[in-house]
Amino acid sequence: MDCPVPNCQQREPAVRGRKLSRLRPWLQTGFLGIWLAPAGRWLHGIPGCVFHCYSCPLSAFACPVGVVANYAALLPVVGEVPYLLIGLLLLVGAVSGSLVCGWACPFGFLQDLLGKIVPRKISLPGWVGYTRYVVLVGLVLLLPMVLGLKGIPFEEQAVSICRLCPAGALEAGVPYSVQSVLAGKGWMMSGFKTGILLAFLAAALFIHRPWCRIFCPLGGFLSLFNRFSLFHLRFNPKECVECNLCRSRCSMGVKVDQAVNVSGCIRCLECTTCGAIEPCFALPKKDSQQAPENPA
Amino acid sequence: MRALERHDFWPGFAAALAGMIVAFCGARHLTSVDTVSGSTASEIQLVRAFSSSGLQYASRLAPPAPPKLEDPAAEAEALDRWAKQQANATPPSWKIRVDTAAKTPCPT
Repeated sequence: MDCPVPNCQQREPAVRGRKLSRLRPWLQTGFLGIWLAPAGRWLHGIPGCVFHCYSCPLSAFACPVGVVANYAALLPVVGEVPYLLIGLLLLVGAVSGSLVCGWACPFGFLQDLLGKIVPRKISLPGWVGYTRYVVLVGLVLLLPMVLGLKGIPFEEQAVSICRLCPAGALEAGVPYSVQSVLAGKGWMMSGFKTGILLAFLAAALFIHRPWCRIFCPLGGFLSLFNRFSLFHLRFNPKECVECNLCRSRCSMGVKVDQAVNVSGCIRCLECTTCGAIEPCFALPKKDSQQAPENPA
Repeated sequence: MRALERHDFWPGFAAALAGMIVAFCGARHLTSVDTVSGSTASEIQLVRAFSSSGLQYASRLAPPAPPKLEDPAAEAEALDRWAKQQANATPPSWKIRVDTAAKTPCPT
């Protein structure tokens, strides 16, 4: 693959980073065993911490984004707050930041697999990551709340995150539509939603993780914790030879050579192959034991 | 010179601890929404209702269908009785309730 970053090929990847890079697809596959529980809907009352539609016939947990949108629509009527979901996301975010995006999210894994079909990718400007917060505030919180205030239940709202979500189209719309076709009742999913799904699949071929980078409200929320989460990436200046391997390995377009614990990062840990960036876990230390922030 | 980006332990730990406490309280939290059987729905039951079309809205409840009988005289009498019942019907005291037995996939 041609890399725009100079000198990126001049360094051998670090052993640990290489191992992590090989391990990741296997762990992502293993996590499917948790999200696609064979027992079906047995934990549907508990929100998950990854992006996976709760209408999927195989989903084990509830979709956190769908739960928030439903609560937002109910807020003007019953004034309930999703404490369980808030607590779970706070816990996951504070411990790992957006690590679940890179290592556990089934929808992210699907995009990783689709991305392997076409190696050349279209690069996106960094500011597109902010649209995730527009989706979070506008589509997931404000719109259902406003329509809920008008007395329209979430399921009847013509525009909602669930009606636009490609994960819902793929994981729930397609299985139920296939079932409907087999029963002789025709394609169940609307043309609009089918179009969204096809557009998403096409985009995932040419843009790395388009949903995660542009739209995912959950990833946007979890990445807010990247700046102080217990699990984080540490830059070791002694190891850095400015080869730019870290930046060339980052498929999310993060300027890893400048800062790594940023909101655009999904913590796939590919940048650790350079050896100067390493994953670590914050532990309590005495002041005298702490290294200076800028040793040089 | 670039920062090490080393994270302090305590902010992350405090947020994780807060999350654990809020999640534990949420799992035991009873909402202000009733179930069809008359008990109070827990947060877990409410979340499950989202994915299984288990929410019932009082404003969306369809009135009972008008009676249809073979005998025209009896049907007219039944219709009259039905119309009076509809006119005197009081709206339900609840706005939303949870049907914990619902299993229809989310329609969106």
